[in-house]
Amino acid sequence: MRREMCFINMSKESQMRAAINQKLIEMGERERLKELLRAKLIECGWRDQLKALCKEVIKEKGIENVTVEDLVAGVTPKGRALVPDSVKKELLQRIRAFLAQHST
Amino acid sequence: MKMEDVSLSSMDNSKMEGFAQEILSDLVEDACLGLCFEVHRAVKQGYFFMDDTDQESMKDFEIVDQPGVDIFGQVYNQWKNKECVCPNCSRSIAASRFAPHLEKCLGMGRNSSRIANRRIASGNNTNKSESDQEDNDDVNDNDWSYGAEKKAKKRKSDKVFLHSLKQPVLSNPNSPRRSKSMKHKND
Repeated sequence: MRREMCFINMSKESQMRAAINQKLIEMGERERLKELLRAKLIECGWRDQLKALCKEVIKEKGIENVTVEDLVAGVTPKGRALVPDSVKKELLQRIRAFLAQHST
Repeated sequence: MKMEDVSLSSMDNSKMEGFAQEILSDLVEDACLGLCFEVHRAVKQGYFFMDDTDQESMKDFEIVDQPGVDIFGQVYNQWKNKECVCPNCSRSIAASRFAPHLEKCLGMGRNSSRIANRRIASGNNTNKSESDQEDNDDVNDNDWSYGAEKKAKKRKSDKVFLHSLKQPVLSNPNSPRRSKSMKHKND
C-alpha cells in the first residue's frame, strides 16, 4: 500500500477506510471485483489494445533490454484512460453497494 | 443516484464516492500491472510474438466478407437448388427433400415403417401376400419389435414387406402420401 499509516494519528475517517479495505479483502470481495474487472476488460478489447501498446514499447526498447518498468511506465497511464465508462460504472456500482453494506 | 439508507457514521456521501473511486483506481492499476508482468514474461520467455505470421499468410486466411459466401470463402447454398435422381424410383428430387424421400422410398428409417404399419393396420383386404395375415397382429406393436421379427424371417419376406408397402397406396384413400406419388407408384 502506498500510504504509511500511523495508527495513533489516524483520523476516524482513515480508520474507517482501513477497516473497509480489510473487510473487502477478508470477505473475498476484492478478489471477485478483480476477476470481474479482468473479464470485462478482456471482453471490451482493452487487453488487446494494451498489448498493442506494449508491442510498441518493446519495439522501441528492444526485446533484450525491455524491463517491467519500461512497460509499466509506457502503458499504465494510457491503460487507465482506456477503461470504458460502462465498465467503470459497473464496478463502481458494486463497490458502492459493498460500502453501503459494510460501512457501519 | 441510488438512495443509500445505511447510516454512514463518520463518512458522508462525497467521501464515500471518493473512496469508491479510489478502490476502483487500485483495481485498474492492478489490472494494468498484471498485464505488464504477463507481457514482460512472455517477451523474455520468447512467446510474445508467437501468433504473428508473415503478411502473406495472414492474407490467405483473412475473413471473407462477401455476399453469398461464408467467412471461409465457400459458397454455402450451392446445393439448395440442385436436384438429385433417386436410385430407387428414378425421380428427380430437390436436394433438401432428398433424405426424407429416400427414407420413404426405400422403406427404411423410423417414419416409413410407422406409416407402413399404419396403412397395413387400417385393414387392407385386397393384399394376398402371405406375410400380411401373420403380421397384422404384430403390426400395431411398436416399430422395433416388428423390425426384430422381420429380421428373424428370411430375405424373401423383406421383399414381400416392401410390396405390401407399395400396394396399399392403391386401395387406401387415406394414405398420407400425396396423390402425386401415388401415380408414380403404379408404374
